[in-house]
Amino acid sequence: MRNLLHDMNPSVKFVLVTVSMLALAFFFNPWTPLLFWLGILLLQLTMSRTKWKLWLLFMLPFSIGAFGYLWTTVVFGADTGGTVIWSFAGIDVTDEQWARALSLALRVMAFSTLSLLFAFTTDPVKFIMSLMQQLKLSPKMAYGIMVGYQFLPVMKDEFTQIQQAQRLRGAEMKKYSWQRLLEMRRILIPMLAGAVRKAERSAFAMEARGFTGEPRSAYYRPVRIGRTDIWMSGVFLVILLASCIGGSWLS
Amino acid sequence: MPEEIFSLTDLSFRFPEDDEKTLTSISFSVEQGERLVISGPSGCGKSTLLYLLNRLYPDNCDGLVDGEIRLFGKSADEYAPGEINHRIATVFQDPDSQFCMPTVEEELAFTLENLHAPLAEMEPRITTVLEVTGLSHLRHSVIQSLSGGMKQRVATACALIMDPEVLLLDEPLSHLDPYTAKQFVEWLEELQQQSNLTIVAVEHRLDSWGTFFGREIQMGCNGAIDADHPFIPRLPVSFPERQSSCQSEVALQTEKLSVTIKDRQLLAPVSFSVSRGEVVVIAGPNGSGKSTLAKSLCGIYKRTTGKVESDGIGYVPQSPEYLFLTQSVQQEVAFSGASTPFELTQLMDSLRLEEIQKAHPFAISHGQKRRVAIAAMLADKRPVLLMDEPTSGQDTAALLELFALIDQRAKEGATFLIITHDMEFAASLADSVLLIKDGEMTGKFAAKDVWQNDKLLEQHHLLAPKGVSRLAESFA
Amino acid sequence: MLKSWKLKEVVLMSLFAVVFGIVYLLFLHVANIWAALIGPLAYEWMFGIWFIVSIICMYIIRRPGAAVLSETMAAAIEVLIGNAVGPRLILSGVIQGLGAEAAFALTGYKHFNILVLMLAGIGSAVFSFVYGYFVSGYAALDPSFVALMFTIRVLSGAVIAGIGGKYIGDALLATGSLRGYAIARTKKGDVNA
Repeated sequence: MRNLLHDMNPSVKFVLVTVSMLALAFFFNPWTPLLFWLGILLLQLTMSRTKWKLWLLFMLPFSIGAFGYLWTTVVFGADTGGTVIWSFAGIDVTDEQWARALSLALRVMAFSTLSLLFAFTTDPVKFIMSLMQQLKLSPKMAYGIMVGYQFLPVMKDEFTQIQQAQRLRGAEMKKYSWQRLLEMRRILIPMLAGAVRKAERSAFAMEARGFTGEPRSAYYRPVRIGRTDIWMSGVFLVILLASCIGGSWLS
Repeated sequence: MPEEIFSLTDLSFRFPEDDEKTLTSISFSVEQGERLVISGPSGCGKSTLLYLLNRLYPDNCDGLVDGEIRLFGKSADEYAPGEINHRIATVFQDPDSQFCMPTVEEELAFTLENLHAPLAEMEPRITTVLEVTGLSHLRHSVIQSLSGGMKQRVATACALIMDPEVLLLDEPLSHLDPYTAKQFVEWLEELQQQSNLTIVAVEHRLDSWGTFFGREIQMGCNGAIDADHPFIPRLPVSFPERQSSCQSEVALQTEKLSVTIKDRQLLAPVSFSVSRGEVVVIAGPNGSGKSTLAKSLCGIYKRTTGKVESDGIGYVPQSPEYLFLTQSVQQEVAFSGASTPFELTQLMDSLRLEEIQKAHPFAISHGQKRRVAIAAMLADKRPVLLMDEPTSGQDTAALLELFALIDQRAKEGATFLIITHDMEFAASLADSVLLIKDGEMTGKFAAKDVWQNDKLLEQHHLLAPKGVSRLAESFA
Repeated sequence: MLKSWKLKEVVLMSLFAVVFGIVYLLFLHVANIWAALIGPLAYEWMFGIWFIVSIICMYIIRRPGAAVLSETMAAAIEVLIGNAVGPRLILSGVIQGLGAEAAFALTGYKHFNILVLMLAGIGSAVFSFVYGYFVSGYAALDPSFVALMFTIRVLSGAVIAGIGGKYIGDALLATGSLRGYAIARTKKGDVNA
């Protein structure tokens, strides 16, 4: 039971997440995203091995974002009519506006939870391999992405080293974001020049081992679609349908 | 009669961006079971030649080929992309950029999938190649967590799993320290004896290879073959003798300097002092804290305890371009604004940077980049210079130039602390050697006391410099 | 579409995506804090950092598809490196890439001057905004607020992605490291570049 979400085929999960998200975009009542959000949470609570402390840490910025969304939609909401339910600092908030603001904020929460469900239960490498095997992503792209993924720690380290070396030269960290964005160019040039070099070397190494970008005839570790995927797709769709219909009925 | 593997006739090659040819009138052939090394200075086109043999070129660079390349008796153009690569396998120089999968097993499987090997064959082939190469214990290891030497072995295993007839080696030792390089060559020697592979290598430092090769083709700077003869084992680069330029004043003094990051002590308290004009070599195994010491001395890392008194400490990283902030050599040296225009002109002059002062600091040679970095540090009034692995990947000419550069600056009062694994280089330059192990300083020794102390060298994964007896005599 | 591509070009796009992924994450942390104060506006200005990959890659590689493929790879890598926004980034990556691609396609992949690059940045901004309008429900917001968001995003696309992309591409070319890519070959005699 606790493995179900982890065992799902990443491509199937990816498609389900995308479909759910697009479907939710049609609903502006607060109940649909709320129901969906709770449904997804329940799913993750029962069918995954999630480190919830880490989950909360990731969820924090989204919650802040959702709050920001809530109040901007209240203050800058489109004129929708409806009865004024409360006033604050000269701004009248109608029930319709409040419902919409709540809906959008909850949508942010629902999307974020859905994304985290994917992130916490999917192995990145398996995801790319599955995109190639199930969704026919070109092997050139798939293994190209894999190279980038392998280089991530190396490049992060390089980033720090360049930053340190340049600080030694007297290139100080600036206070404002836009200044730092401008300063970023100095770190970017050596980083990108190095990336060009690494890209060529890696591509050569792959080609020297017979990689041509042609589709492969057999996989050492095939990623399959199994019965779990059919069942889990059913569960996802039930949650989605229930929240769409239930939400519309409740509001 | 042995089978002919490669045969090149009057081959020349030009990159579309260049006006001049990179390779001109190259003719030679290679027979089965040969161990050939192609040598020559950096930039002589030897890697280009290798890439023509495994068909990475001309397609990858749209280069223009004249003359004929025959691989296994067939013209090179007749092979489809990738067709030749399982017969001619290659190991490249950079251990960090040869892999696309996370673990050793997956990387080997990637190679087999490229060859369209049937699924049933994959598992036994992986097991076999790991046994043959002695890497079975690393099967599930994450490649990026392995050392450079181990990565090169994994790259070799990936080449061998294809059952190639020829193994091409593109300066496979250039990113390894001499200790690791020696182990790699011994390991390769054993493998070759079992498999009788044909080996064609490109290399500019032949001394690490002992008697591995049977034949050598020397290339000149003009991209043509200078000589083709049986291989003669080489001695390491012999550096000129050097007079110590130590002065009596102290240039750098540390007391109980230590570094702890995130509750991990990377460097236990160290205390030592360095005189003006002194050349100190910092040596020790990989990950022993050499870079931590360097970075804490120049202030990149915060020191947890202790203090450092100095005239001003500069830092030249292994990749000097990390330091560069501007678009021209001139601006780069002048960046800090700490020197007068007169001082700058003098500095540019003495480091031979005048002729390239308008050039982009990224577009010059590695040796020039390092001179720019040193000039920038000196112009910023940092007369104590820390250099991180300046010898890595350098050919003979570059090493001699580096030697002369350090010697000259030291005579003029600069102080050097050099992190290096290259004990020949160290023996030629160092006044003293600072040995580090497991984040602790073993001590700062007079250089001549270290070279003959085999136990001390072994403990710090160092090879005694070859020709040490000559040095010992000259010291006496 | 990918058949004629060299593998080194595909890997280049991937590694550039990693570099900008790191930069993007740095600024994302700042924006996350601002988001509580000014809502979705906090993210608008930095959309350009996100679009820049496709513009730089197209500027260097100059093949049809370079913009949309690089942006898609960038999104996939962002997912791999644990951007919590997750799989929906991939869809938005494709859409943003298409925006930039449209601008280059309009000019027949022949011109890569500053105006075209800015247009590509604007293209990404417009496409991504339309998508955002739908998915994030901007319809619920006051039209003038939406217009403000749109303006900032377009400006960010034109300035950070367009001008910034050209600047970085040229600076990189000056380092001499782009030998063997289309940009290094056409630069000499190309009046349009």
